[in-house]
Amino acid sequence: MAERELMYREALREAIDEEMARDPTVFIIGEGIAERGGSYKVTEGLLAKYGPGRVRDTPIAEAGMIGVGVGAAIAGARPIVEILYVDFAMLGMDMIVNQAAKFRLMTGGEGRVPFVMRTQGGTGGGVAAQHSQSLEALFYHIPGLRVVMPSTPSDAKGLLKYALRQPDPVMFLEHKHLYMTRGMVPDGEHIIEFGKGDIKRAGTDVTVIAWSNMVPRTLEAAEELSLQGISVEVIDPRTLVPLDRAMILASVSRTRRCVIVQEANRRGGVASDICSIILAEAFWELDAPVEIVAGLDIPVPFNLALEKASVPQKDDIIAAVRRALHESPVARAAG
Amino acid sequence: MAQPILVPQVGQDLTEAKIVELFVKLGDTVKKGDLVAVVESEKASFEVEAFAEGIVISLPFAVGDVAPVLEPLMHLGAAGEEIALDATVVPAAAPAASPADTGPAAVALAMAPLRAGGNGGAVNAARRASPVARLQAAARGLDVADIAGSGPRGAVVLKDVLALASSAGAGGDTLEIRTLQSGQGTPVVFLHGFGADLSAWRPLLADLGLGLPLMALDLPGHGSSRGHHAAGFDEIVAAVGQSLQRMAAGVHLVGHSLGAAVAVALTEGAGLDVRSLTLIAPAGLGPSVNGDFVKGFLGARSEPALTAWMRRLVCDPASLAPVLVRATLAARADSGLVPAQERTANALFEGSTQLFSVAEALRRFQGPCTVIAGRDDAIVSLRDIEASLPGNVALHRLAQVGHLPQVEAPRLVQALIARSIRSAG
Repeated sequence: MAERELMYREALREAIDEEMARDPTVFIIGEGIAERGGSYKVTEGLLAKYGPGRVRDTPIAEAGMIGVGVGAAIAGARPIVEILYVDFAMLGMDMIVNQAAKFRLMTGGEGRVPFVMRTQGGTGGGVAAQHSQSLEALFYHIPGLRVVMPSTPSDAKGLLKYALRQPDPVMFLEHKHLYMTRGMVPDGEHIIEFGKGDIKRAGTDVTVIAWSNMVPRTLEAAEELSLQGISVEVIDPRTLVPLDRAMILASVSRTRRCVIVQEANRRGGVASDICSIILAEAFWELDAPVEIVAGLDIPVPFNLALEKASVPQKDDIIAAVRRALHESPVARAAG
Repeated sequence: MAQPILVPQVGQDLTEAKIVELFVKLGDTVKKGDLVAVVESEKASFEVEAFAEGIVISLPFAVGDVAPVLEPLMHLGAAGEEIALDATVVPAAAPAASPADTGPAAVALAMAPLRAGGNGGAVNAARRASPVARLQAAARGLDVADIAGSGPRGAVVLKDVLALASSAGAGGDTLEIRTLQSGQGTPVVFLHGFGADLSAWRPLLADLGLGLPLMALDLPGHGSSRGHHAAGFDEIVAAVGQSLQRMAAGVHLVGHSLGAAVAVALTEGAGLDVRSLTLIAPAGLGPSVNGDFVKGFLGARSEPALTAWMRRLVCDPASLAPVLVRATLAARADSGLVPAQERTANALFEGSTQLFSVAEALRRFQGPCTVIAGRDDAIVSLRDIEASLPGNVALHRLAQVGHLPQVEAPRLVQALIARSIRSAG
């Protein structure tokens, strides 16, 4: 199939545009998304095309925005609520955790909440502790929510289109560092079902599981490790809920070693949970302890050098892969 | 490294065997496949062969002694090697009288490879090892305590086990075929069912009276092949098929349950000339299997629990000999066995559904085929089996018999196996 190169933010825009054209109940609200086209330019041009009824600016009032979105979804629309930073989604946690995630169960399955919250997280450029968090574990923990974390333009488009067609609340977590990255996106109707991971690089020695902005960083590490003679398989689950356990377990059973990389801080993170799944299901296949590379358990520092030190970098991933192979963390110079 | 040769199981409910011939004495060197002894039960005699090369370094029994089954008949090792004291066995008069004597601990001890030079000689006394290294070592009869590990702080990792196994010439890829009785002519290969191992066939073979070589192997995930993981039915068939290549000139297959399904699948694409098929309570013909049984059977950790589940295998609970339950439990003393079988079960069954079918392959098989099934089979229903049998297959429906016709109606099953094989000419 033909494909073309798009930026992550352009791929997201295409997904929203195509679904708004297809389904008149899709609308989007957020801060600065209509007139300004969004802080990350994802929604540029949509106001002119669909008008202020379906592309609407809001005041700086996240609790109200999320409440509107959840209510509209219950009433039968397909709202997209854009929250500028995932950190600010905390203002709407009651609507997300107690209403959106529970409504389907509490109505005996009759009420559905096709609510999509698009937001972004992660470190990048020294925007400090309240604008740099990776909070996927909070949503991952709540039964009833879908948690999506695309790492490429193609995945971003395909998963967002699926999100706008399925019936449950979706936490669509983008990354501030990824908006300007480029990648090939298939032409035509391009939809990616939830729960299907993607092998971003095939390998035989170690399985590395990563998502969101840790995927490109892990691919860089894998490239460097290949020069050291180590073949790394990089798996991107793409959706954390539902999680593609089968792909993970099959890969780990093959390589017998696993490293999980998350930008979020270590304590109570998704990596720990994936690790527990591997230990329960594939313990007897393992030839080394599962390694977790994660952010430090501190608020993300403002200072750029400290910010960098607080989240996994390429060398941290390389060292963990080498440990999983029972090798010294740093390759010794050939000689 | 010293390894024991065990007194074989000689009957479903027999716990001891008489040693009638010993072909070796202390200090003799034996090769793999050498006949080392003959033991007998009241009904039949069994040849015991060496499974590895080595020097006989212990021989606790003499001709005429009565030895407990599954205890070491002798140990093979290197010149000058001693065996650890705690693993030598004093001839026991009647171990069946006390369940403790034939329980898991006794058998696990007997099956554990012995350390060179006693406990002080272990290079890895703390037994540090990765899970897969531990499993693979156990599958090859190696003790991680004897292996110098290359992992962190001396831990044994997979490559250490594989290196040792390949240097010892022990192939890891093909399943080991055991000769249960030697003979002349086209070999008969017996394939056991899910959760069993090849020793399950021994009682049945005692007086089969065919004169053909009788062989068996442990399916992947079972018995000595528990380190051999198969990702699904096709992989099991491929592994067995590969192991049987040296019998490409012709083979009779006898299978029970899962083993019967494997036997049918081997009639196609494995490059084997299958002369006859005898299928006992075959799986793989209908869609359903008793999923509760598979789950409960694998989950049982105590003798009462396992007894409760294994009773489902038979129509008359009295026909289930306690020794059969204890042998199953004893095999599970190896911590890798149950996980290996759970993996196999997950690949074969989804709840009460069999994920594989050999009904079409059976339809295409033109040779003689006999099916033996119990009317009261609670695991795989007779109705399912009947529904998918082609017309050229002989079906024997046994009243008052469950999933183990070979246990509940051994005489008849022996006669039917012999007739089926003879009919192939």
